[in-house]
Amino acid sequence: MDPMIHVDDITKTFRLSRKQQKIEHTSDRIKVAVNHLSFSAYPGEIYGLLGPNGAGKTTCLRCISTLIQPDSGSITVHGHSVQDDPDAVRKEIGFLTSDLKLEDFFTPNYLFDYFSRLHGVDPEVSQARKKSLFSRFGIDKFAEVKVGELSTGMRQKAQIAISLVHDPKVIVFDEPTNGLDVLTAKVVTDYLKELRDEGKTIIVSTHIFSLVEKICDRVGIILNGTLKKTLLLGDLVKNEEDLENLFFDLVQEEAGEA
Amino acid sequence: MKNILTIFKKEWDRVIKDKRLVMSVMILPGLMIFLIYSFIGNATTSMMQPDDANVAIVNAPQSFINLYESVEDLEILNTVFVEESSEELYVGRIDEGNWDVWIVFDDDFETYDGTGDKPGVRVYFNPNNSQSQSVYNRFSGYLYQYQNALSLALYGDTTYFAMDIDNTEINQDIIAGRMFSMILPMLVIMFLFSGAMSIGPESIAGEKERGTIATLLITPVKRTEIAIGKVFSLSVLSLISTISSFIGIIASFPKLFEMEGIDSSIYGVGDYVMLLLLLFSTVFVIVGMISILSAYAKNLKEAGTLIVFVYIATILVGVTSMFSESADSRFVMYLIPIYNSVQTMKAIFTFETGVLTYLLVSIGANIVYAGILIFILNKMFQSERIMFAK
Ligand SMILES: Nc1ncnc2c1ncn2[C@@H]1O[C@H](COP(=O)(O)OP(=O)(O)OP(=O)(O)O)[C@@H](O)[C@H]1O
Ligand SMILES: [Mg+2]
Repeated sequence: MDPMIHVDDITKTFRLSRKQQKIEHTSDRIKVAVNHLSFSAYPGEIYGLLGPNGAGKTTCLRCISTLIQPDSGSITVHGHSVQDDPDAVRKEIGFLTSDLKLEDFFTPNYLFDYFSRLHGVDPEVSQARKKSLFSRFGIDKFAEVKVGELSTGMRQKAQIAISLVHDPKVIVFDEPTNGLDVLTAKVVTDYLKELRDEGKTIIVSTHIFSLVEKICDRVGIILNGTLKKTLLLGDLVKNEEDLENLFFDLVQEEAGEA
Repeated sequence: MKNILTIFKKEWDRVIKDKRLVMSVMILPGLMIFLIYSFIGNATTSMMQPDDANVAIVNAPQSFINLYESVEDLEILNTVFVEESSEELYVGRIDEGNWDVWIVFDDDFETYDGTGDKPGVRVYFNPNNSQSQSVYNRFSGYLYQYQNALSLALYGDTTYFAMDIDNTEINQDIIAGRMFSMILPMLVIMFLFSGAMSIGPESIAGEKERGTIATLLITPVKRTEIAIGKVFSLSVLSLISTISSFIGIIASFPKLFEMEGIDSSIYGVGDYVMLLLLLFSTVFVIVGMISILSAYAKNLKEAGTLIVFVYIATILVGVTSMFSESADSRFVMYLIPIYNSVQTMKAIFTFETGVLTYLLVSIGANIVYAGILIFILNKMFQSERIMFAK
């Protein structure tokens, strides 16, 4: 099967300002956030990027979602190049991250319609989709409340629904359960599994082992911007291996190299 | 095109559905300007309102009384006819600044036949007191006129020709128009700018700061469409804000100038249409500049700082309208943004004949500038360093 997402040897660096240099305790002008990273994700699977804070997960997902461009290497989503045809990629992808905010002034209902129109979704289809997503995440109760007046969890639910207005084939989800209570987290993870079963390609990033074990089919462990290892969750179970131990081994190895 | 409308509508709703913004962008500017200028008008007229002129006259000849009464404003003129014996009293008052002028005519003033001693007039006033000085100036004028008249009566008709002076009928509209053209262009440019300034940074730098623009940037909407949608809606909203301010200032003019005929009715529909077209093209340039600075700035605060510099520069250009009687007649000057709007407004307000050419050149130039600014904004939306600066 052809991969839905193909990340090929991408590197992303950021130029650091003086202030950032201080915060990061470094005198380097350049921060390598993602370092020659490659992986693929296929339809019908949830691929996890597991790594500690600052490993480069969000940066990698932002590259896939066309928000930023890698310095080198290439990414394709459903055959479209992120660099050469970003609009085609944007049509296929739903991106969720805490960096993408909804405007406080508007209601979830208004914003759902707004983004549906921007994605060119047929109004009738959009209304039906809104109904099902809103009831699924319990948004109907606060559909007419301004985003600014919602709790963090409610806001995140609204964000999830709105990132799916165009029923994308690919869902890229940065820290899916961050800030959610266990009940809401379960609604979200169940929904992700359902989407996977519908044949969508899903990439999540996280630093939570249990989340990986719960929903991922495959996981890539990322340290300092480099992909250290890719594992099949099924194999781990079969071999009675522990993800956490494997992870710590890798961290130690990395520290030894450094 | 559909996306431009969608974005336009959202930006529009953002302001129109927010009661606070509607108040502060559309209603308050006009209302505040009306109140402030009416107040200034009232204050200055009451300041310029002269106090009563106090004049004490001894032996006032009736013909002299007739002379000054025909000129003076009798409501504020307080004349008393007294005996010469009260001289000390009035001179004392004048010295203290409590009285203005003291005039004494000799007894036999009107019976003089041209022989013997000439009758005299004595006047006392206080040059240290501006009110006294000004009343004296007027009354000494009447005295000279009176003297002339009496001399004529004495020697018969000594003039060789009679004068009948006539002049072009004063055109109130042109005078009023010149007055408008001194002040309005600068004010209107200021209104345009402050209207755009109150919503522009919020819509771009604010969205950037709060991370809502990223949500828009991951949709497959062309960056050009985002730029056009935003600039269009911000322009329309700023124009509405300007019209509100414009109505406020026009409404306060009669009070400000305390003059009949100084009101908006001197201009016809055509003038207003020209003005509207001009302002609409100008607001694009202003909104374009504000948008670019807002997109460039890392946050709202920085945007505010950058924009203030341009605001000051714009006001300086606007002030040029105060230094000339009529609009600039050099066509090339109408290619300079803002300056072209100020000068074209001047031409509209002073009923200049070449106004249509100025208008067309200005609008053409403004459209080109707006296009360039939108293009730059579009490029900025594409730049990750600008849009996602940390
Ligand atoms: N715009 C930027 N400018 C400078 N440095 C950046 C920028 N974005 C990310 N970085 C740096 O790149 C590195 C990777 O960041 P990234 O956000 O991808 O990590 P992450 O794996 O998502 O971490 P977390 O688990 O904390 O979310 C970090 O060191 C971060 O400071
Ligand atoms: Mg992250």
